[in-house]
Amino acid sequence: MSRSQTRADAALRAPSPLFDRPAAPAGILNSNKGFLRALGTLAVVLLAVLPFINATPYLMSIATSALIYVMLAMGLNVVVGYAGLLDLGYIAFFAVGAYISGIFTTVLGWPMWAALPMTIAACIVAGIIIGAPTLRLRSDYLAIVTLGFGEIIRITANNLQITGGPSGIHGIPTWSFGDWSFSDGFTLFGLEFPQRVVFYYFVAAVVVLVGVVGAGRLAKGKMGRAWKAVRDDEDAAEAMGINTYIAKITAYIIGAVWAGIAGQLMATHLSAISPNSFQFLYSALILMSVVLGGMGSTPGVIIGALFVSLAPELLREFSEWRFLIFGVLLVVVMLFRPAGLWPSTAILPWLKKLKPVPPPTAGFMAVPAASANEDLETVEGEETR
Amino acid sequence: MSALLEVKDLRLQFGGVKAVDGLSFTVEAGEILAVIGPNGAGKTSAFNCISGFYLPTSGSVVFDGRDIVRQAPSFWRSLRLVDLLQSFGFYRVLPSRVTKWGMARTFQNLRLFRELSVLDNVKTAMHANIREGFWATLLHTPGYRKAERECAEQARGWLDFVGFTGDENLYVTQLPYGEQRRVEIARALATGPKLLLLDEPAAGLNFNEKQALMQLIRSIRDLGVAVVLIEHDMGLIMNLAERIVVLNYGKEIAVGSPEQIKNDPIVIEAYLGVEDEPLDETKLQTGTVDLSLLDDSLLDGSSQGKGKKGKRS
Repeated sequence: MSRSQTRADAALRAPSPLFDRPAAPAGILNSNKGFLRALGTLAVVLLAVLPFINATPYLMSIATSALIYVMLAMGLNVVVGYAGLLDLGYIAFFAVGAYISGIFTTVLGWPMWAALPMTIAACIVAGIIIGAPTLRLRSDYLAIVTLGFGEIIRITANNLQITGGPSGIHGIPTWSFGDWSFSDGFTLFGLEFPQRVVFYYFVAAVVVLVGVVGAGRLAKGKMGRAWKAVRDDEDAAEAMGINTYIAKITAYIIGAVWAGIAGQLMATHLSAISPNSFQFLYSALILMSVVLGGMGSTPGVIIGALFVSLAPELLREFSEWRFLIFGVLLVVVMLFRPAGLWPSTAILPWLKKLKPVPPPTAGFMAVPAASANEDLETVEGEETR
Repeated sequence: MSALLEVKDLRLQFGGVKAVDGLSFTVEAGEILAVIGPNGAGKTSAFNCISGFYLPTSGSVVFDGRDIVRQAPSFWRSLRLVDLLQSFGFYRVLPSRVTKWGMARTFQNLRLFRELSVLDNVKTAMHANIREGFWATLLHTPGYRKAERECAEQARGWLDFVGFTGDENLYVTQLPYGEQRRVEIARALATGPKLLLLDEPAAGLNFNEKQALMQLIRSIRDLGVAVVLIEHDMGLIMNLAERIVVLNYGKEIAVGSPEQIKNDPIVIEAYLGVEDEPLDETKLQTGTVDLSLLDDSLLDGSSQGKGKKGKRS
């Protein structure tokens, strides 16, 4: 069918804004963004100096575990918090990452860094295999199916030869580059770090930092807006030109890759993995850290993950009572902060009183749209095809 | 020159209910067309078929030279796998694709993204029009920053165009209803449409807001965008529409200019029932039949919405 060029064929461009907007406030205390940046910098500094203050193997081990939890929670936050897909089998991707890196390093003898691309590829494939058939489902049904897939992965690992059956994989090496390995030891600024745990902590810190910043950035771009649109209203998102299926599966794959990398960190950290490390309980714990912290909120999810991973350790002196206290604490938190500790829609308390400066639109409505139209322009002649 | 949108013999059946039953109409580029009809006449169902949300039972919808309704080959139909395939996006055109081709729509009940700010709502609609790669987003490359800046600039342009006066950083749930309507129209426009489907845009608006809406729809038309609107407010439609399509029970019963429609006996019958049907004495006494509906004041716009209560039983 031939189409002559008409107005309808020219791409519709937005009119340029009629008003200048006041510049967004910057600064640590009078903008949310500035405050979060300052807080993030502080957290990074704390992370960096922690081993210089206290480097007992116990503390380093807990800190590394906590960092891995943060990585997992950030990944699940993409799936649950941004895209709104309730995933109860998230630990499956963690298992895929751990097992793939374990198999490649022990059975095939690859160095750990070479196993990383394999882990990522395997997680992308796993994300597609699990996601493609299930993402047509909505909410509750998706939760049940993902729960099933999580169990399938664990039971498969329990029964395969290559995964070592119920006893799992042992002797997973740490990171090494050529002749040098993290277990060799390392001296920095006259301080000696004998245990590989310390080094391992630094690697985990860097990877998790990249993971946190990366997930946050993805959420702010085009894809992140699509995820949030799908979460808020799937039909409306579809009507806005977002292929909701692709948006959902992208979120799923990103979540899977984050979990896979966390799994590889875990495998090297513990040097042994077994199917017992990937029980449903852990899926629930990670989901809990996302919900507890505030779905879709980076600082909230980090706080939630730290709470979930550190609280049982901090409550260790209460011995058997600690899980009861942990549960009570959770209930109390959810009662008083139902949207999470730091919800994504939170406004810093001291910013609530600040009235934002509205654009100078007083009397705009009195202007008939026809005369306002003179300022508008459509770009003609730009063929869409 | 063919029409921008051609709907031919569109049928949609839910079980035994014929929601749309042989609807045909065309929309020319840059015109304002109104679709009216009593409640349950199948207006929104027809909209959903046209924008790709529902798969019509039969019929064809051609938008800008492209087929929106696709039929699966008889092989799949004989295996009864068509539903499954269509749920995966085969043998159908997804609404997102229709939007990319240049047809935007709004919804009857506001469906904004509740946890996004006003600006982000409009930016979201530009999804198909901006290019941002995965690595560019991760690394915040200059190209990414530029795309985001332009996206925000265009979104603000659309917000100004629809006359949104509030703070763009508020969440949409914090806005009054009328402003939310504006944001929804801005969001639909941000997809860069050639055809805009508005589903009851004036529902719940007060008189002043309706006047502003009329001006807005006219200025949208002046941009070269064809507008198809479903409305119950006769005053607004008679003022605004260039052509009117009247539906009843899924069938098109009349097409024409507002004057023609106003005086069309079939339309009056659809809204008011048959005029010379003898009135039931008991109904008159109990007041279930509003006699004032029977005079010709209904369609001149002064008695908005009363048509819905017309005697149809």
